[in-house]
Amino acid sequence: MKSFVCITGATGGLGKAFAVECASRGWNLFLTDLSGKNLENLSRGLASTYDIEALYYPCDLANDGSQKDFFAYIQKEKLEFDILINVAGLDFEGFFTERTPQQIRTITRVNIEGNLEMTYAILKARDKEKPFRIINVSSLAAFYPMPIKAMYSASKRFLLNFSMALREELRPAGVTVTALCPAGMPTTEGCRQSIESQGFAGRLTTKNVGYVASKTIDHALKGHAVYIPGLLNRMLRFVGFMFPSGLLARAICERWKSTRKRKEAIL
Amino acid sequence: MEKTEKQKTAVVTGATSGIGLAIASELAAKGINVIGIGRDSELCKKVKNNIESLYGDVRIEYLTADLSKLSHIRQLSSNIKNMANSEDDKSIDILINNAATVSSWFVGTEDGLELQFAVNHLAPFLLTHELLPLLAACSQGRVITVSSSSHYRTRIRWNDILMRKNYNCLKAYKQSKLANVLFTAELNRRSESNMNLIALAADPGLVNTNIGLKGTSGIVRWVWKKRSKKGVNPKKAAQSIVYLALTPDINRFNEIYWKDCKPKRPGRYAQKEDNASKLWKISEKMCGIKSADYGL
Repeated sequence: MKSFVCITGATGGLGKAFAVECASRGWNLFLTDLSGKNLENLSRGLASTYDIEALYYPCDLANDGSQKDFFAYIQKEKLEFDILINVAGLDFEGFFTERTPQQIRTITRVNIEGNLEMTYAILKARDKEKPFRIINVSSLAAFYPMPIKAMYSASKRFLLNFSMALREELRPAGVTVTALCPAGMPTTEGCRQSIESQGFAGRLTTKNVGYVASKTIDHALKGHAVYIPGLLNRMLRFVGFMFPSGLLARAICERWKSTRKRKEAIL
Repeated sequence: MEKTEKQKTAVVTGATSGIGLAIASELAAKGINVIGIGRDSELCKKVKNNIESLYGDVRIEYLTADLSKLSHIRQLSSNIKNMANSEDDKSIDILINNAATVSSWFVGTEDGLELQFAVNHLAPFLLTHELLPLLAACSQGRVITVSSSSHYRTRIRWNDILMRKNYNCLKAYKQSKLANVLFTAELNRRSESNMNLIALAADPGLVNTNIGLKGTSGIVRWVWKKRSKKGVNPKKAAQSIVYLALTPDINRFNEIYWKDCKPKRPGRYAQKEDNASKLWKISEKMCGIKSADYGL
């Protein structure tokens, strides 16, 4: 029986990098994201470039009906999995009070609930013969309270804690859970602008997505709990331990405000 | 019988700015039927009107496509075929693969490829394949790919050809331009037995265009701003490429790489046949095609 690597958010920057990395290792893929058209192009390209089987099924994690269809499809096709990579996640940068109720719901639906439900469903469809790997994409933002990205950093903190706890629960079953905590990555035009607006510091903490995807898979295969790409970013995490979180939040808020001003000045 | 220039049709990619724009205007001014390709439909319209007002009665049409997307290239090819089939002689004489890009960041395309490799190498590769029936239909089809002297002193990273793990803007650009020369050499070899086709790689030299300002930032952008000032006018670079497009007798095996209307030796790496055939096979897979189906 063939087993697949399930990747959510597969047509975004990091998701795509994971898909290419897994394909280059010869693994069969099962990709999902919002747009069926993008998934079709990506899986066709990967299947022919790397001689693998690449299946896809579009799914909107914020939509219950769409999610039901997705899980029904997995059951109907009797797909089995040995790796799950939860990449799907989103952020609306800016002050909490500037958000609409719809946006607030979407963030919690996708970043938290979508991840939990996906993990639950895919674990049921795991290939019992093999060890099972879960990679949850958290963020460096999970280590601090982050004003202006308040909901986002809290949702990533949720994923980090959840991953660490689930990892222990599933240890006897031969399942490993790895949380990836990257800093900013130049995946979209918006991200690139945001990194450029942070100047030199932004560049230093930025890592190439292809590199991050490849290293993360290595760490997941070794069963590590947390992977933070980049030495400087690993050091930044310890800053989070050394100072009281109230003070950190204050400092980060000042910094974000000034980069926001700079960004607005550029635009 | 050799066609007169007025009976010829040329396709030029990246024809809304820089060298491509200059080539398209020059060819149109000579009376050739030109199909220009650009990414931005508004800009295409503007450029078409400009050329028409400058040169008067010329035949130039623009088609829009994003050459970083294989699906767009396929769609574009069928649009070009429709256009060519509505004309009398149903063929394309000249294909100029000019479009190229530079990107400071690793950008993944919708097909899971890297932006520079996709636009600079795979787009010419796939577009040439798709247009082969039209190129083969005329007495001597010509495929000119705009390479660059940056193809010297570099190599293809076979282990990570998309440079996913170790991306560097300049290295990726150099590799893609080397790929252009390898593609040209292999296209000549493959088409030798059953097609009357000439493939050439052109080196425009340093030209004052804004290629280095579109997808870049920081140091790369700054350096290009300073460096491009020393470059020649795109018009001058275009003249040598137009010369290649229209000069009848060129020995496609000894003289594949041209600079300033003179043949030049390409880099040593670019001359090796096994590199070219290896790259060709990888490119076939990435585009999801088999060259044999196209008669190559």
